[in-house]
Amino acid sequence: MKGFQSQEFTGIIQIDRKTCKGCDSCKSFCPSDAIEGKYGAVHRINSEKCISCGQCLVNCPFGAPKDTVDAVDKVIAKLKDKQVTVVGTIAPAVRVAIGEEFGMEPGSLVTEKLYGALKQAGFKVLDTNFTADQTIMEEGMELIAKIRHYALGEPSEHHLGPLPQFTSCCPAWIRFVELYYPDLIPNLSSAKSPMMMAGALAKTYGALEVWKVNPEDMFMVGIMPCTAKKFEASRPEFSSAAHYWQKQGKTGNYPDIDVVLTTRDLARLFKKLNIDFKTVPEFTDKDNPLAQYSGAGTIFGNTGGVMEAALRTAYFVITGKELDVLEFKPVRGLQGVKEASVTMKDVKTGKDVTLKVAVAHGIKENVRPLLEQTKAGKSPYHFIEIMNCPGGCVNGGGQPINPMGTSWLDKAKAVLPWS
Amino acid sequence: MARYDYVEKAVKVTRREFLGLMGVAGAILWTGAYVATDLVQDRTKYIKMRAQGIYTDDAKAKVRQSHNNQAVMDMYKKFAHNPLSELAEELFHTKYVDRTKLV
Repeated sequence: MKGFQSQEFTGIIQIDRKTCKGCDSCKSFCPSDAIEGKYGAVHRINSEKCISCGQCLVNCPFGAPKDTVDAVDKVIAKLKDKQVTVVGTIAPAVRVAIGEEFGMEPGSLVTEKLYGALKQAGFKVLDTNFTADQTIMEEGMELIAKIRHYALGEPSEHHLGPLPQFTSCCPAWIRFVELYYPDLIPNLSSAKSPMMMAGALAKTYGALEVWKVNPEDMFMVGIMPCTAKKFEASRPEFSSAAHYWQKQGKTGNYPDIDVVLTTRDLARLFKKLNIDFKTVPEFTDKDNPLAQYSGAGTIFGNTGGVMEAALRTAYFVITGKELDVLEFKPVRGLQGVKEASVTMKDVKTGKDVTLKVAVAHGIKENVRPLLEQTKAGKSPYHFIEIMNCPGGCVNGGGQPINPMGTSWLDKAKAVLPWS
Repeated sequence: MARYDYVEKAVKVTRREFLGLMGVAGAILWTGAYVATDLVQDRTKYIKMRAQGIYTDDAKAKVRQSHNNQAVMDMYKKFAHNPLSELAEELFHTKYVDRTKLV
């Protein structure tokens, strides 16, 4: 199959032929024109074009597109196996959405309940927010090295990619570039996404220093608001921890992240294990270093969040001073493309440097002009954050569906009761 | 010569009936528009509510910058040395694939 490496999941999202009414709604949300079939006829997904973002799935009025990768039973089996240390890594956007599956209001922040429920189910936690902070250190330092090199003329030891630097946290966006804009691959930050950093970190540092277990006996579960993360975890290059241990004489070949559960999948897992999320005892996990995170780590779940988090640290590293006001308003909100510039005095050279940034979300509507501009070499920006889903991960393809209790069908029923 | 006389079937609508029909058409269109806008608002509403939940998590955090996360800094001290170190490059960075060349 074209465009896939060996072992990679293909066809993660598929349309159920019996349920599809051919209404074309999905096509109006698909960022990569992967949905085929005329209006009125049953549609199908061309998985070579599909970036598995799941936007069709959360927006179909009939619930026809399905996520075909289901690891819930596998995770339950691993949780029951006493030989295995099961570690869950929870993305920022999961903690504000999973409550909806248990009748809570959308946007309810339930971090402590989530830790509590995971503990009851038998998980250890490496919060993805921890590795989001780490992503800022890796990706941010990469950006700062480029700025110091290109804007301030500092010599560089590393090979540095060109500016603008694109963020690399969103796996649907990464596959989109690899498929449709391969010329821009050098512009991507080389930093792994927070989930993949969590996988590599858990099976090295986590196994060694925190849980003191054999990395081969670990089972890493990504708990994500996203269906494309299932694809990302299956990419063959992501077995860095196994390679690390092989160099130290250990055998064993295993992926950094074994399986991925979406927010919906995790809710199903809790229900299968009879864990009542509403009444589960809260747990802070304050003695676990890998469950500590900053505000910058958590805002990764919103569009503009990676940028805001990066600016907080970049400002400090370049000027040597903390930002006075941490909320960076120009990159917040649901406007399609947001831009901002920040002028800072470089503490090393005393020169002023102006950092120009852009944030885009919703590949379908807002991203292509920025990419064309970059391809033509006319981009005025240094750093560009891109999220595939409108609104960022909070609206990801793995999140609860129709949380307001108003699916399109029910809404029509309210107006046309005989339908 | 055959006379070719075509008279279109007359439909007579009084002014009162015309207004009535317009009313019905208007109601149908309005219902559709109402359903559509309401749905869009619902979608944006839940995106906004979840986004607000995340910003609340940030606002109440004691530490709000990544470089001030002590646990991350301890990890570098004990294990990966510093960002972009050789080990960090090996474990936390990656390469991408030009998928137009994969057949």
